[in-house]
Amino acid sequence: MTRPKPNSKKHRGAVDFKKIRRKVGRKLPPPSNTTNTEIKSKAIVLPEQSVAAEKAGFAVNKKGLTLKELLQQTSHHNVKVRRDALVGIKDLFIRYPAELKLHKYASLEKLRERIGDDDKVVRKSLYDLFKVVILPGCKEDNQELIISLLMPYIFNAMTHLAVDVRIMAFDFLDLILDFYPPSFSSYAEKIFQNYEDILRGNQYYLEDKGKLKDALAGLVRCLSLLPWNKGETDLHNKGDNGRRVLHAFDIDMSTSSNGFSCIIKKLKDLVPVLINSFLEFTPLIHSMESLEGKCFGCMSSILQSIDLIVRSISYGTDKDSESPCSQGGPDVAGLDVTISSAVLKKIIPHFPLNPVHHLSERDYDRLLGLNLIIAKIFFHLNEWMSLPPNLLDTFLEFFENAMLGKLGRAAQPGKAVWEEHLVQLLPFIPKFISHGTSYWTSRLLQAFTQTFRESKPGSLLKLACLSAIEDMLTPIQNLLSMDETSNPENLELLDALLDWIRYLPMLLIQLGDKHPSCSQVALRLQLCIGQRALLNSSLVDMYDSMQYLLQDFYCTCQEGGHVSYGPFLRLPRESQELSLCSLYYFSYLDLPILKSLACCCLSADLDPYVLFRTIEILHSAYRDGHIKIADYLSVFITLVSRFKVSPEISFAGFKHPLCQTLKSMTTVLCSYMTQMGDNSLVLQMIEKAILNQIPQKPSLDNSCSLLRMLVIVDSKPTRLSEQSIIMLGHHLSEYMMNAVQCIPEGGDEQETPSIQSSAQHYYLLPCFFMFDRCHKLMSLVLKRMGSAITESSFSPISDKCTQHTWNSLIRVNAVTSVLLLMHKDAKLQQIMSLFNEDIDNIIQKVLSLQSSERKSMSIEERHKIQCAFEQLQILTE
Amino acid sequence: MEVVLASSSSGEGGIGCWDLHTGAEQLRYKSCASPSHGLVAVGARFLASSSSHLRDSLATSSLLFWSWSKPQPEVKSFPAESIQPLAANHSGTYIAGGAPSGHIYLWEVETGRLLKKWRAHFREVTCLVFSEDDSLLVSGSGDGSVRVWSLFMIFDDLRSQQATNLYEYSFSEHTLSVTDVVIGIGGCNANIVSASLDRTCKVWSLSRGTLLRNIVFPSVIDSIALDPAEHVFYAGSRDGKIFIAALNTESIVTHNYGIIDSFSNHSKSVTCLAYGMRENLLISGSEDGMVRVWNAKTRNIVRMFKHAKGPVNNILVVRRENDSSNHTSPIIQASSKKQVSNLPPPLEKYANPKDEDSNMKTIISLGGGRRSVDPLYISSHVISNYIKQFQHEGSGAASEMEMEKLKQDYQLSMQMANQWKKMYENLHQFCVKELLDGGQTRNLD
Repeated sequence: MTRPKPNSKKHRGAVDFKKIRRKVGRKLPPPSNTTNTEIKSKAIVLPEQSVAAEKAGFAVNKKGLTLKELLQQTSHHNVKVRRDALVGIKDLFIRYPAELKLHKYASLEKLRERIGDDDKVVRKSLYDLFKVVILPGCKEDNQELIISLLMPYIFNAMTHLAVDVRIMAFDFLDLILDFYPPSFSSYAEKIFQNYEDILRGNQYYLEDKGKLKDALAGLVRCLSLLPWNKGETDLHNKGDNGRRVLHAFDIDMSTSSNGFSCIIKKLKDLVPVLINSFLEFTPLIHSMESLEGKCFGCMSSILQSIDLIVRSISYGTDKDSESPCSQGGPDVAGLDVTISSAVLKKIIPHFPLNPVHHLSERDYDRLLGLNLIIAKIFFHLNEWMSLPPNLLDTFLEFFENAMLGKLGRAAQPGKAVWEEHLVQLLPFIPKFISHGTSYWTSRLLQAFTQTFRESKPGSLLKLACLSAIEDMLTPIQNLLSMDETSNPENLELLDALLDWIRYLPMLLIQLGDKHPSCSQVALRLQLCIGQRALLNSSLVDMYDSMQYLLQDFYCTCQEGGHVSYGPFLRLPRESQELSLCSLYYFSYLDLPILKSLACCCLSADLDPYVLFRTIEILHSAYRDGHIKIADYLSVFITLVSRFKVSPEISFAGFKHPLCQTLKSMTTVLCSYMTQMGDNSLVLQMIEKAILNQIPQKPSLDNSCSLLRMLVIVDSKPTRLSEQSIIMLGHHLSEYMMNAVQCIPEGGDEQETPSIQSSAQHYYLLPCFFMFDRCHKLMSLVLKRMGSAITESSFSPISDKCTQHTWNSLIRVNAVTSVLLLMHKDAKLQQIMSLFNEDIDNIIQKVLSLQSSERKSMSIEERHKIQCAFEQLQILTE
Repeated sequence: MEVVLASSSSGEGGIGCWDLHTGAEQLRYKSCASPSHGLVAVGARFLASSSSHLRDSLATSSLLFWSWSKPQPEVKSFPAESIQPLAANHSGTYIAGGAPSGHIYLWEVETGRLLKKWRAHFREVTCLVFSEDDSLLVSGSGDGSVRVWSLFMIFDDLRSQQATNLYEYSFSEHTLSVTDVVIGIGGCNANIVSASLDRTCKVWSLSRGTLLRNIVFPSVIDSIALDPAEHVFYAGSRDGKIFIAALNTESIVTHNYGIIDSFSNHSKSVTCLAYGMRENLLISGSEDGMVRVWNAKTRNIVRMFKHAKGPVNNILVVRRENDSSNHTSPIIQASSKKQVSNLPPPLEKYANPKDEDSNMKTIISLGGGRRSVDPLYISSHVISNYIKQFQHEGSGAASEMEMEKLKQDYQLSMQMANQWKKMYENLHQFCVKELLDGGQTRNLD
């Protein structure tokens, strides 16, 4: 019952004071100048508090772990966890390459600790991680820094107690050197030290030959990274010549001398160790029935290392002898003797390594490889100090047999092993030749020649043969020049040389355009021979006879007009130039080769630059009396008359590249002709040939060029014969009319009048010169033009009536413009006044045409003829 | 007086000679048909030229000497082979000549002796030039090689026998015949520029023995002239242009790499170039027989000389004493009395047999030169001859001088005597006067 009470109270309200009523739920609008101080927030995320971490925005691997977690796990005490972490990291980086970019240094710092991990699988997966993901991903970065991060840990691992870890460390080293080879030089000393240590104790882990083999292969790679063992350093230097300022001082510290003696010392320490481990292997060869591949791998790596070391040391001694002031001169020499004697005593006696049992073919191959490397070591040593001659004989015989392919089945041409090692032995041949080692010279030469002939074109072996020949040229020629050919040995040298030269063109053709680098070496050799051929008459003969074989190399033209181009056209420009240069050194160039050269020049595929080079070199050869003048001039005429400027091009644009080429070629040829000497004699020689060409109606550009050549050697009162003037008179009128007709039609819209008139002028100019020199020719041409008009008007009226008048109209127009152009020329104007009758005659003919054809012509045509008529009349006034 | 000399192979023009500064034509030396690089001024004393007969092996080829004052060649010599390029060292004591067989001949000028002949190249020698200090000889050849020879090495029999190569350097990067070689300043550390038919010019360093720069031109370069400061070199091409190629700038990768500029007023090919030191002038000879003098800075033609119809193939700029005939020293005058001409004897054909070898020591005399303080290289017996001659002459001259002195003494004493005489007479007169005066006064007294 209490409820209704307030109601009643309400009723009774407003007793004490009046209650103020307010509007609930509505506020005053904020004043316009208030600032909004409200802070709104949807949720506050606190991931740390979550038990299952929130990884929405993060890169995770398959298992949903972030990089940070994974890195933490790599140092987990459980092997499995560590391994999984590494696999996980690999997965993560593959998925998110950007992650690698961001965190590479952090992750490297963590990961490097695992290089010396005790567990094999962990190391293996780390190796994978580095190889597949991290190092390729860091190619563009500061490689130096990355290497410096890793190197200390690798060295650390190399001195680890566990052998496995040590050997794996070499794998890592390998990986890094592969990634950034220049890093080697700064760590070389330490690296070699470590190799020495591991090899010294190799008896412990001889069982694990696979590992040892890998480590040794790494050593070979390290050794070949030594600056003086790299062959291509010269090539790098070649690229940047010209960048230097000529007179500026620049410090050229050769990188090779940097800490050289230290490294050499380490290398020398390595040799006995290597020899010992080699000796441990040798019994295996004789005892085992079938040899293990790993074993061979180890041995060949050991031998290669020794070879490289020997080479480095001999390089070092060369350097010392050049600059006696360098440190430790006598010391180096003293140590060398111990090394060489060690090699001689311990390795050479095992040569040749012969199998006791019957072995498979593969094992023969391997043994041969080993033998070849030993031979290489021996030859290197031999260069450095003279070794006992009976030993040398053994090796030379082996070398000869190797070249001849007599050493079992493995040494057949085409076998990879044989080729690979022989390539390295070939550079020794020039040295033996230049020393003149008695009767071995001829035997080696014969064997070499056979190898050279039988090796596959374009193979490495062929390339090595070519460069060996190039090296031999100088010593052979020195010997030949010294005591002529009285010495039988020298005769043999000469014969061998002749043999090689004879084979060269064939080789060039065989090589075709498929092995441009090999072709270039061959061409360079050809040039070298040519430059020096002068020494000996038989050499000159042989070189000269090469040109007949070389025709196929350039181009062959069969009788039927079919042309087959040789490889020359498709070779790179540098080779083309070499080949052209060697042409200059032929003591004479015969017609056949000139023909094929001209054919080449006419090919549309030939670069204009090479075309001009060809002409230039031919001219140089001519100037030195290597080409007969008649042949030379006929080449000119062939080039000019047959150079293809397709007719539509000729109409379309005067400025077409082909036209320009022809134009400038003509200019060049003309200037050469004036340099030849007596112009009148030259004229006599070319007159007939050119006049034979003109009636065949070559295209406008070609005939213009022919006429230019004729004009350039003619003189003011013309020296042309009566007969040829008549002939020219017959054809020139047509040529001139053609010239005038062709130009405006093509270039109505695109070309400005000045270009058009200059083109006309270009074509007509040779004729103007001729008119100036021979007035009779002008009268002949004028007469001919006159008759050209009438010729058409006499023809009977037929269906083609309109067509025909159109033709005659064109003729009239052409004649008119020719005459107008002639009239513009001040000199010709005078001469023209002499032949007013002929011009009058033409006017008459136009007039008669106008009257006779009046009916059939339209108004426009009539107007045109009238115009022409009026223009002509002005001329005679 | 700086003169320009130009010669051509045709022979009709002879050797044209103009004063570079006034443009006045001087004496024209006749019957000269020189091949390219075949004209040389031997120590500015006389002119020498090889004369070729265009590879006509039958025709005899010769070496001709002209003195400055006579148009006809005064001395003719006939070497064993037809010599084409010639070079003389700066003081004019040696002449080197290159033969088509690739041999280089070296003669001593004073005696005409063939000092040395050696196989230098596989093909003909095309150009020869001595280095600035005369110790190196640079030769270019038809086989495309440029070789640098040290004269010390060549005359050192022991060392040259031991060495595998006689040359200091052999640069064989050119693929075709070398057309011109110039050498810069700096003795054995100079740079060489060579031009070849293969359209390139190559810059070599003698100190490093390497190729420094390879500049490809649009046409064959026949001649080079080096700017004295070696900032640029000028290359005269067969298409009539003279190119300017940079030497002392870093490489500018442009379309025509290394070529800065070109200028041309030759319609025909530029065959030879020379540099006139005094006024920064570049002198070019052309196929059309004209010699043009350019201002190297503005590249305008300053002068033009018409030489002949045929191509000009040699240009020399020689600084000549104004009166070369009177300037000769008393020794030469004395010898010229006997020999009529003041030119050295002709060059020998073959090297002397061994009996004179003992005298064949080349010595370097410092300050012994008659004309300059530059070291002269003369073989010892020449020097000893000179010494003898000088002693001979010396005694005569001494007596002459004595006479002169006596004469002077005589004159002096004569003068003295005259003076004494005069004095005596004066005194006498004075005394007489005095006496007379004294007598008069006494008389007066």
